[in-house]
Amino acid sequence: MTLTANRAPAEQRTPAKAEKRANPLRFVILAALLALLLIVIAPLLIIAINAVKSPADYASGGPLSLPPRLYWDGIVDFWNRVDFGMKLWNSFITSFTVAVLGVLLSILNAYALGIGKVKGRVWFLVFFLVANLLPQEVLVYPLYFLSKEAGLYDSLISIVIIFTVIQAAFGTYLLTSVYQEFPTELLDAADVDGAGKLRTLWSVVVPVSRPTLGVLFTFFFIWTWNEFFLPLVFLVSNDNQTVPVALGVLQGDRLMDATMTSASGLIGILPAMLFFLIFQRTLTRGITAGAIK
Amino acid sequence: MIRSRAGLSAGALLLATSLALTACGGGGGSEDEGADAKTLTLWHYEGPTSAMGIAWNKAIEEFKASHPGVTVKFEEKGFEQIQQNAQMILNSDSAPDIMEYNKGNATAGLLSKQGLLTDLTEEASKRGWDKALNSSLQTTTKYDEDGIMGSGKTYGIPNYAEYVEVYYNKDLFKKYNLQVPTTLDEFTKVMDTFVQNKVTPLAVGGAEYPAQQILYSLALSKADRAWVDDYQLYKNKVDFKGPQLKYGADTFKQWVDKGYIAKSSAGIKAEDMGVSFTQGKFPIMISGSWWYGRFVNEIKNFEWGTFLFPGNKLHPGSSGNLWVVPEKSKAKALAYDFIDITMKPEIQALLGNNGGVPVAADVSSITDAKNKELIENFNKISSEDGLAFYPDWPAPGYYDVLVAGVQGLINGSKTPDQVLTEIAKPYDENLADLGK
Repeated sequence: MTLTANRAPAEQRTPAKAEKRANPLRFVILAALLALLLIVIAPLLIIAINAVKSPADYASGGPLSLPPRLYWDGIVDFWNRVDFGMKLWNSFITSFTVAVLGVLLSILNAYALGIGKVKGRVWFLVFFLVANLLPQEVLVYPLYFLSKEAGLYDSLISIVIIFTVIQAAFGTYLLTSVYQEFPTELLDAADVDGAGKLRTLWSVVVPVSRPTLGVLFTFFFIWTWNEFFLPLVFLVSNDNQTVPVALGVLQGDRLMDATMTSASGLIGILPAMLFFLIFQRTLTRGITAGAIK
Repeated sequence: MIRSRAGLSAGALLLATSLALTACGGGGGSEDEGADAKTLTLWHYEGPTSAMGIAWNKAIEEFKASHPGVTVKFEEKGFEQIQQNAQMILNSDSAPDIMEYNKGNATAGLLSKQGLLTDLTEEASKRGWDKALNSSLQTTTKYDEDGIMGSGKTYGIPNYAEYVEVYYNKDLFKKYNLQVPTTLDEFTKVMDTFVQNKVTPLAVGGAEYPAQQILYSLALSKADRAWVDDYQLYKNKVDFKGPQLKYGADTFKQWVDKGYIAKSSAGIKAEDMGVSFTQGKFPIMISGSWWYGRFVNEIKNFEWGTFLFPGNKLHPGSSGNLWVVPEKSKAKALAYDFIDITMKPEIQALLGNNGGVPVAADVSSITDAKNKELIENFNKISSEDGLAFYPDWPAPGYYDVLVAGVQGLINGSKTPDQVLTEIAKPYDENLADLGK
């Protein structure tokens, strides 16, 4: 009975749907969205096409022609030439460590500033915002000398420390505004139950804000993964380099190898895209987390 | 969180100034030349299949054979990484023992001024490297105490050279019954024929270096060595409205008006210019010898050849990048040995047989007919002391000024006179900064 009762209105809705489908505006919007989609993925497509094209085909057909046959040598050659497996590992380990440490640091800072309401917290926030807006080029010189003094120049640890701080500055700023809106009822309840400050943080605040933390984690990971300038400066030896720095090897003085550059570009962005796809659900959940349940 | 790469140069500039303050006071470390060092760390940024990459790999093998017990730690670097960070790296303990570096005032000159490079003058004369290089090649190896090339101590040794020449599509020349031109007039007539047949004669990349090199070639057709010394080495003041550059700009403008150069080429990159020539879309391309090896491999559909810019005694070109030995190198003696190996006839011949232009090769040892043509052209320039360097060298950041100026000529937004005024300004400002 309940099934048929449910079905009846659905059947009534069908003519309305057909009407909607006939609406010409919908086609226009669809076409516009398709065009937009094409614009967005066009660069990716061109990279993908050229990544599997042989240099000879590229020379005779240009960048836009379709490859007559799939040519994987560009990708394989590049992989071997820069020992790409090692670069992937370097990138992964730094990005992951930065993401974990960055989120931890942001939680502790934001707990103090957002919920603990430390004196002068506005100034702290302004400081973090400014630190966040500072271009990296300004930081390079002092960081270079500090890391040289500390014996961390040309080491992944320097990159982990630098980016943990940089990402946590943004994380603190964002998370503090989230924690300022944190429901006081929950905090009061924890207080009544006799939970201390640490206990409240780990058992109440962190679980409730987990979706936001997930977003922070994902972004920290991808941002650190894509960082080019500071790793380029700090990771001197080939053994320490990350993926974006390794891609730079192909950049010659006057000539570029278009097919191999595309091949390297393709395998360079794949991991970040994969990571994004895997954590895509955390992202959407995190964005809707602001809505009052 | 999105950071632009545009800020890079600003950062690099900041570094350059701040490092200059701290880096002085190196030098004078010749007590220990590191002859007993057990590793040689070597960096360069040439692809493994390029002429230099092949020749240098062979040189590394020979070095290993002649130095048993020494490990060679070779790292292939990106051009940009070395460009951006050389000062910082060379000032740290991560410095390599020997590396490839760009020639010029803003690069090798700057490092030498900061005391980051080892003075090679003595080694060069002891091992005869100075005799292998002719005087215009040596210009880029010597830097004075202000880091300006042309005189002073030797800080680097080039293995190869490069120069700008004219590439032409033999099939298209044959189709319209054209001969290789030997004077500028004949060259103009050849291009007229193509225009009459609705073919744009010149493949030009207006968005990058190629267009300014054409303008410079035209200016050089009216210039002599003294003018080049004035322009590049600041010997005397250069008049931008003088006969050389005025002729260059005016003629370039004429070439655009006559249709030799397509208006659309203002936005074309060098890479696209090269690809369009390989596809046979244009009969002529004026650009550097660095394309040569690639064209040998990639042009399959037509016959092609090269000739020097007709009528010119001076051509844009210079020594290639330099081998430099960082002041902090821990194996200087080994580094000298390595440079010596790269100058050996068999390594030089290998470079020549793979499409490079060796600095000290015997043409008879070049077996490949196509590569012979490239090297014979170079030897012709070399015997006339005809390397005139590149137009963007004299002032920092001058490259972009010239690109913008020549783009203005191509798309007709500026007159030659306006362009000359525009490009004279940064040049003169740089002179004032140098106190000349």
